[in-house]
Amino acid sequence: MNPFISIMLLSTLILSTMIVTISSHWLFAWIGLEMNMMAIIPIMMKKPTPRATEASTKYFLTQATASALLMLAIIINLMYSSQWTIMKLFNPTASILMTMALAIKLGLAPFHFWVPEVTQGIPLTTGLILLTWQKLAPISILYQISPSINLHLMVTMSFLSILIGGWGGLNQTQLRKIMAYSSIAHMGWMTTILLYNPSLTMLNLLIYIIMTFTMFTLLAQNSTTTTLLLSQTWNTMPIMTTFTMLTLLSMGGLPPLTGFMPKWMIIQELTKNESLLLPTLMAITALLNLYFYMRLAYSTALTLFPSTNNMKMKWQFYPTKQMTLLPTAIVLSTMLLPLTPMFFILL
Amino acid sequence: MALVHKLLNGTYILRKCPKPGVASCPFLSTRFADYCSSSLEKPVAAPGKASSQRKTEGNLEGHHQREVALDITSPEDKPEVSFDKAIKEEIKDHFRRLKDDIVNHWIGPEGRPLHEVLMEQAKVVWQFRGKEDLDKWIVTSDKTIGGRSEVFLKMGRSNQSALLYGTLSSEAPQDGESGRSGYCAMISKIPTGPFERKRFYDWSQFNTLYLRVRGDGRPWMVNIREDTDVIQRKDQMYSYFMFTRGGPYWQEVKIPFSKFFFSNRGRIRDAQYQLLLDKISSIGFTLADKVDGPFFLEIDFIGVFTDPAHTEEFAYENSPELNPRLFK
Repeated sequence: MNPFISIMLLSTLILSTMIVTISSHWLFAWIGLEMNMMAIIPIMMKKPTPRATEASTKYFLTQATASALLMLAIIINLMYSSQWTIMKLFNPTASILMTMALAIKLGLAPFHFWVPEVTQGIPLTTGLILLTWQKLAPISILYQISPSINLHLMVTMSFLSILIGGWGGLNQTQLRKIMAYSSIAHMGWMTTILLYNPSLTMLNLLIYIIMTFTMFTLLAQNSTTTTLLLSQTWNTMPIMTTFTMLTLLSMGGLPPLTGFMPKWMIIQELTKNESLLLPTLMAITALLNLYFYMRLAYSTALTLFPSTNNMKMKWQFYPTKQMTLLPTAIVLSTMLLPLTPMFFILL
Repeated sequence: MALVHKLLNGTYILRKCPKPGVASCPFLSTRFADYCSSSLEKPVAAPGKASSQRKTEGNLEGHHQREVALDITSPEDKPEVSFDKAIKEEIKDHFRRLKDDIVNHWIGPEGRPLHEVLMEQAKVVWQFRGKEDLDKWIVTSDKTIGGRSEVFLKMGRSNQSALLYGTLSSEAPQDGESGRSGYCAMISKIPTGPFERKRFYDWSQFNTLYLRVRGDGRPWMVNIREDTDVIQRKDQMYSYFMFTRGGPYWQEVKIPFSKFFFSNRGRIRDAQYQLLLDKISSIGFTLADKVDGPFFLEIDFIGVFTDPAHTEEFAYENSPELNPRLFK
């Protein structure tokens, strides 16, 4: 893509999220979300293959619907509160509509159907932006309206997301779809705790972004998009197999890796609020997620898949792709668990 | 409408599809009719007579798929069918398939363990060993637009292959708008799951299509369509040619997926895109070589495999002159 256009699109993307996070006027926040959607559509269509076009169309339709619902909720809130300030909502209808609109934007169940389809149709780096940066704006709005969100609706959607994220990712061989289902499940964990302790949502989001960034960067090194290609990594970059395994297990929430921290905090917070069944069920359904991460780790690092002879020479050559921040990201996504007291105090 | 078709498994009261077209009618029980012809030429025979004729032919030649227009109902036919019972059976069948689906989802992709799916290097996707295999295909010709080609599909000798045969006629239909005609095609039905949910094939670990055919020297076109939810993409397909030899020996045709070129609405596009193998919906064989006369194609099986010697990803290039949009 022309570098000027690239810079313009990326800066619009960054600016739009900043607008949503820092604005205190509902209309301005809505405009930020629209700019966000408009900016990422051309990025998704950098190579206008039919698949990318379909993915962009699906993304546009779902996000536009969500924006329309959001605007409806804002106007109902305006009717009942006569002010545009972003704070808790003054009407239960507005609250429910806004929650649903933001759930569509985030890809929470039962509005999750677009996430695997769109993620599968776009290149790996764009998928990374879709699953990390695009979550910031809707979560920031959810954080600000968290006192007025309907508990039952939110908990239902969150638990359904964790369940569907785990179940749907089970027999996928396409890695981008696996990451999409992982995103759905993680969004479920984040939104469960939103009404009890929104700071933990932010912590979970931060750790999720670090882990997803690590995973996508590892995948982009070899341009692997299927499990079979990932299982051939031992030929080309053996050290990557170890890191892939550690990152996957961290995403599954295994101690002593970083990914255990948000799950631990969330379960602790829920039990403090005398909710026992929900964290139990969440912990059990998180095992589904762990199962398919383990399967990927097994085929990548723990077994040496058969391959043709000419592939074994590649480890001798230096990798040509830039490993932007990869070592830092790997350390952050695997070794942050001892710093839990610091995060706990900070948040 | 789909339920009516499924219930009346031998006789039909009314068979009208919402729109004419081949792949748009996956609900037809293709034991008898193959396409929707709701607005076309006069029917060949009344359904009562047609069914008895079909039965005698069926007895003589085994399973036989014909193209028959079935627009007019016979007043003498009174099918005995229990609506409630049939609906209940249908619902039970769908729930059974849903349960199988859930169990298969737990086991792994396509109902088999993951390591088995990943290690697979060759797979037979369609083979013709019985009449239930023929039910997975739809045959069509330019009769849908008023032409005179005929095409039939039946099981071959000793149920080891399928025979696609008929007559091609490039006489244009006299409807004032078609200038050209003369095509016959055999297209696979889109795989469906429980409650007629659309499925697709995932061939991403394979790189070559393998066909065992025996033809008559005619050039056929192999078309692959991708699974899509967007209506504009239903006209897009990826094609390549299959040249058959006329000999008595079986021919093994291997077409790498990198060779398939992209076309939209029947026209090859300047902007060429690679065939992505993770969401394949259907495959089809088309004959349109402008040579009038009879044809046949015997197919043993259609499979996919990984050719380790084939490393090409895409055989065609896009040029900056024809497609500046792709090079911005």
